[in-house]
Amino acid sequence: MKDYHGIILAYSAENELRELVSARNTAALPFCGRYRVIDFPLSSLRNAGVFNVGVIMQREYQSLLNHLGSGKPWDMSRRVGGLRILPPFGLPENHSGKYDGTVEALNAVTRYIQDIEQSHIILLKGNICANIDLDAAIAVHESSDAAITAICAKSASVGLHHRYVLNEDGFVEKMLYDRVNDGEGLPSLGGYIIHKDMLLKLMDMCKAANLYRFHKDAIAAYIREGGKMNVYVHDGYAGTISSVEAYYKVSMDMLNAENRKSLFNHQRPVRTKIHEEVSTYYGEKAVSRRSLVADNCIIEGEIENCIIFSGARIAQGAKLHNCIIMDGCIVKEGCDLNCVIADKHVTFSENTVLTGAPGLPVVVPKNFEI
Amino acid sequence: MAKKCIAMLLAGGQGSRLYALTQNVAKPNVPFGGKYRIIDFPLSNCANSGIDTVGVLTQYRPQRLNSYIGNGQPWDLDVADGGVYILPPYQSAGEKGSWFSGTANAIYQNIGFIDSYDPENVLILSGDHIYKMDYADMLKDHLAHDAACTISVLQVSMEEATRFGIMNVGEDGFINEFEEKPAHPKSDLASMGIYIFNWKKLREYLIADENDPNSSKDFGKNVIPAMLAAGERLWPYRFNGYWRDVGTITSLWDANMDMLSTTLINLYDPSWPIGSRSPVCPPHVTGDNAQIIHSIVTEGCEIYGHVENSVLSPSVTVAESANVLYSVLMPGAVVEEGAVVEYAIVGENTVIGANAHVGAPPDGTDEWGVATCGPDIKIRSGAKVPSGAMIYTGEEV
Repeated sequence: MKDYHGIILAYSAENELRELVSARNTAALPFCGRYRVIDFPLSSLRNAGVFNVGVIMQREYQSLLNHLGSGKPWDMSRRVGGLRILPPFGLPENHSGKYDGTVEALNAVTRYIQDIEQSHIILLKGNICANIDLDAAIAVHESSDAAITAICAKSASVGLHHRYVLNEDGFVEKMLYDRVNDGEGLPSLGGYIIHKDMLLKLMDMCKAANLYRFHKDAIAAYIREGGKMNVYVHDGYAGTISSVEAYYKVSMDMLNAENRKSLFNHQRPVRTKIHEEVSTYYGEKAVSRRSLVADNCIIEGEIENCIIFSGARIAQGAKLHNCIIMDGCIVKEGCDLNCVIADKHVTFSENTVLTGAPGLPVVVPKNFEI
Repeated sequence: MAKKCIAMLLAGGQGSRLYALTQNVAKPNVPFGGKYRIIDFPLSNCANSGIDTVGVLTQYRPQRLNSYIGNGQPWDLDVADGGVYILPPYQSAGEKGSWFSGTANAIYQNIGFIDSYDPENVLILSGDHIYKMDYADMLKDHLAHDAACTISVLQVSMEEATRFGIMNVGEDGFINEFEEKPAHPKSDLASMGIYIFNWKKLREYLIADENDPNSSKDFGKNVIPAMLAAGERLWPYRFNGYWRDVGTITSLWDANMDMLSTTLINLYDPSWPIGSRSPVCPPHVTGDNAQIIHSIVTEGCEIYGHVENSVLSPSVTVAESANVLYSVLMPGAVVEEGAVVEYAIVGENTVIGANAHVGAPPDGTDEWGVATCGPDIKIRSGAKVPSGAMIYTGEEV
C-alpha cells in the first residue's frame, strides 16, 4: 500500500457559478454528460493506487454525499482505510459559516490529519477537471528531499492564478500572484504533495497568526524561509470550474477530440457513480453533430455542438445549438435554444426560444419550467 | 434462514447455433441490445422480483461469464444472506466427478447448494431468453394453486406451436399433457422454459430421474413428463409480455432490432431496470457529418459516419463515410472509412477495414441470411463478406 493519503478540498461553491451552485458545491457540479467534477481528483488518486482519501466539504453537500456514497465506484469502500467524508465539525460558535481559506478548512479537520497513518498527503482541489498522472507526480516528489511538490499546469487556463518561478535546479524560487504576464512562471493547479508533518506545521503556523490562505500565507512563507519545493508539471488538459463562463468553456472544450482524449485517458479511466441506464435512442428525424450525448436519452430533434446528459428528451422539431442540457431535461417541439445551460430536470415547453452567447450563456436553474 | 424461493439459472449450454459468437464465450455472455449481455435479463428479473439468491450453473467456456457476474453487484445481488453464486460441475470425495449431463442433472448435482438455503420453492431459469417478467407474480400464482410445479407459458399461433414444447390444459386449468414440438398441436400454450417447483417435490423427482439409466436427465423430456404421469399438480402461468429465445443468429438479430421499438420491450421504464456491468466510458460523441437514424447508441461510441436502424454497444467506432445499416455492433467494434455493414452482426473488437462490405439486404431467396463476424477479427480493407456468411475468430478475410 502506498505511503500516500489523498485529501480533496470540496468545500467551495464559487459565487460566479451562480444558480449552478445554489443547491450543490462546485465539486458536485455535473460535467460532460455523466460525471461530476470531483470524479477527476478521485479517479486520479484511485488510478495511482491511493485508496485512502478524505473529502473536506462544508455546505450544500447533499448532492456530493449522494454521489460519493461509500466510495465504491472508485474502489474506495474498503475494510482498511478507503473514503472518509469530512463535513465541518466543531467550528467556533461565532464562525461565519464559510471557510475563509484552505488552511481553515484543513484546521477544521486537524484531528483527522493528525491521525493519518501515511507519511505524505496529496492535496487536490475539488473544482479542477484534470486527469493527473499522480504516479508520475509521486515519482517527482520522491526524487528529492523537498517536503512539498506543487502540481502545476503547463500553461494557464481560465481561473488559474498562482504561478511558480523555478531556479536553475528546478525548484521553486518564488511565487507570483494574481496579475502576471502571459507565459510567466508555471501556473499552479492548487494540488500539492506534502509531507504530513510539514502540512501540520504550516497549519499551526497559520493558525497562530490567524491566517487562512494556503498559497499566500502557508506556501509563500515556506518558500520565503528557504523551504525546498519541487514542481510536477501536468501536461494534459486542465480546466478550473470557477464561474459559469469557465464551466461553459471547459465543457465545450470536451467537444474537441484532443482535449477529450487527454481528460478521458484510456490508461487512467475516469470513474463515476454508475446509474442503471439504457442506450440513447435516435429517432427517424434526429440530427446529432459535434455533440456528446450520454445514455438514456431519446433524441428526435436536432442537436449541434451540445453536451446532453443522461435522461434528456429532445422532441422532434426542437433545435439545440451550443447547449449544455443536464440530466432529465425535457425539450419539447419547436424549441430553439442556443448557448443555454439547463440544470437538471428543466422542462422547455413548446416553441421556447432562448439565446445566450458563448461568453454569456443563459443558465436555467434546476427543476425550472419554461 | 429459510428462503421462500431461490433461483437456479442454467447457463452452461454451448449455444452452438450462435457459431462464431459463442466460439470462446458461453451464450449468456453474448452482448445484447447495446448495453447488455443476455444473462442481464434473467438476473435483473430476479433482483426486481425480490429473489436475492441465484445459483448460476456454468459449464461451457465459463471464464468470462464468471468475471462478468462477479459478486453480482450490478444487479444488487451482493447481499449478505444470499447473492449470486457460480456453480461449475465439481468432484465429490471418492467420485470421479462429471459434467452436467442434462438440465435436470445440473440441478441434481447442486442439491447440496439448494438444501443449504432450505427454500420452499426453486425457480429454474435459462440464460438465453430476452424478457421482463415478475417472478414474484408467478410465485404467487404457483402458491395460490398449490402446484407442485408451475410452468410459464406463452400463447403462440398454431403454426408456431409446432416449434415449441406445448402444454395441453384440462378443464380444471391444470396441465394434463406435454408435447415437444407436436406436428398437430392441441393447444397454443408454449413453454418458456421457466419453472417454479416445490423444492421437496422436485428433490424427489430429481433423485428418481438420476437413478433412471434410460433418462436423458432433462426437465422437458423427463422430469415434467414423470410428474404428469404421477398425477402431480402442474399449473400453467400465463405470460403475455415480450419474450424471445435468442438461440440462433436470426433470432438474436431479430431481438436486437426489437430493441429499437419501445412498444415491444420498453427498457426506459425505471420501475424495471435491467442491470449490466458497465464499462464507464465517456458519453458517445458524434462528428461533423454524423447521421444517426432510428438507432440506439451508447457510452464510449464515436460516430462520424452514417448509422441507421442499428444497435450499437459501448465503444463502437463508425468512421467518416462508413455506412452501418440494420446491424448489431458489439462492444469495441470498429467500422473504418467507406466500409458498409448491412444486415450483419459484428462481434466484440472486430475491425471492418476501409471500404470492406459486410452483408447484403434481403433478396427474397432462401440463401439470404444475416452476415456474422465473430469477435477479434480484422476484415481486410476492400474485402467482401456475403450475406449469411459466418466468419470465425482466427479466420483471414
